[in-house]
Amino acid sequence: MNIGKQFKEGLVTNNPVLVQLIGMCSTMAITTSFFNGLGMGLSVLIILTLSNIIISAIRKIIPDKIRIAMFIVVIACFVTCVDLSLQAFVPALSKALGVFLPLIVVNCIILGRAEAFCYKNGVLASTFDGIFQGLGYTVVLMIMSIFRELFGSGTFGAGVINGTSGVRIIPEQFPAKILTLPVGGFLCLACLIAAMQWALAKSNKKKEESK
Amino acid sequence: MSKEVKTHEKVDMDPKYILKLTLTLLITCVIVAGILGYVNSITKDRIAAFNKEKTEQALADVFKDASDPQFTSVDLTADMTAAAEEYKATLEEAYQVTDGGQDAGYAIKIVASGSQGDIEMVVGVDSDGAVTGVSIVSNVETSGIGSKVMANSKLANGTGVLDQFVGKSTSDQPLKVGGNVDAISGATVSSKGVTKGVNGALAVVAAIG
Repeated sequence: MNIGKQFKEGLVTNNPVLVQLIGMCSTMAITTSFFNGLGMGLSVLIILTLSNIIISAIRKIIPDKIRIAMFIVVIACFVTCVDLSLQAFVPALSKALGVFLPLIVVNCIILGRAEAFCYKNGVLASTFDGIFQGLGYTVVLMIMSIFRELFGSGTFGAGVINGTSGVRIIPEQFPAKILTLPVGGFLCLACLIAAMQWALAKSNKKKEESK
Repeated sequence: MSKEVKTHEKVDMDPKYILKLTLTLLITCVIVAGILGYVNSITKDRIAAFNKEKTEQALADVFKDASDPQFTSVDLTADMTAAAEEYKATLEEAYQVTDGGQDAGYAIKIVASGSQGDIEMVVGVDSDGAVTGVSIVSNVETSGIGSKVMANSKLANGTGVLDQFVGKSTSDQPLKVGGNVDAISGATVSSKGVTKGVNGALAVVAAIG
């Protein structure tokens, strides 16, 4: 087990959104304002870590043929617990996340990590994997949501700061509204992925040259 | 995902193995159901309390001009439900409103479908049959798009999208997005959902009175 390597994988070289290309649906749908992105990222981080711990702990008693069904049951359990707790104790956040919180059940990051990592690794390694992969997801969501909110609506922190309207940075007539729509999500994500792949290819090339 | 899928894998029909699969899944599901039941039992009262508070808040919102509004629940009749259904909305609760002993109209709690799911709203209708206000109780509209309608964002003409219904009455029906109702750009379906609810509420009040 190598925490440093896992950290680097989660955030950069094996980033769930930009390199593994999983969890795209929620990434594009939720990132229209900063706090939505942050809230969704943290919810996934918590659920991913918890489900990673449980799945890696019971991995030896899960029969191979029904592992996917078992994963989904465990994940659904955590998602529902978090959903109900948020509704009861933090109704504002639960309202902001809306339908996307229950949809974490089918977010492929969590199922993907269960299948690709927890089913083969120990509890401790899986815990760190959950935290780092969750962080990787959160960071991408935050970058996208800051960008889309700033250039799409011209504000920062809508929904939480300054009543519900957020702090206006760009006057109302200038922002490109298209960025807040789904098509803007695709464009924004594509640019991020391209930048990431370029950076990765460049660093790989450097490594080869130094050999 | 990482494992290869063999196309002609022989199905293992050993009864013991099948029993093992079934039992493992069953036990997991029972444990999970137990956990969820427990979480539900400790959270449901708080969630219900929040929802009640939200409904009361919404009722007060739509009659904010009244000095001392009192809400008395009205029993739902088949006529009222049918009136709401005509506009594809589902009637939940109806309240007769009095303000300082005077008849002030009705508050209708009604559900209509938006772009992602149900929008639950309270529509106030005064004794002359005109809408006094629309307040959203709960919704699952897309954050940043449909949620703008729920948050009463301003339309191009400066009026809030929910405020534009104020003053509309049965003589304006059917209210229609693109006709006498404006939608928030990008959130047409959510705007239509609210319109269905208001149409339904007006029809319900007409059915009562």
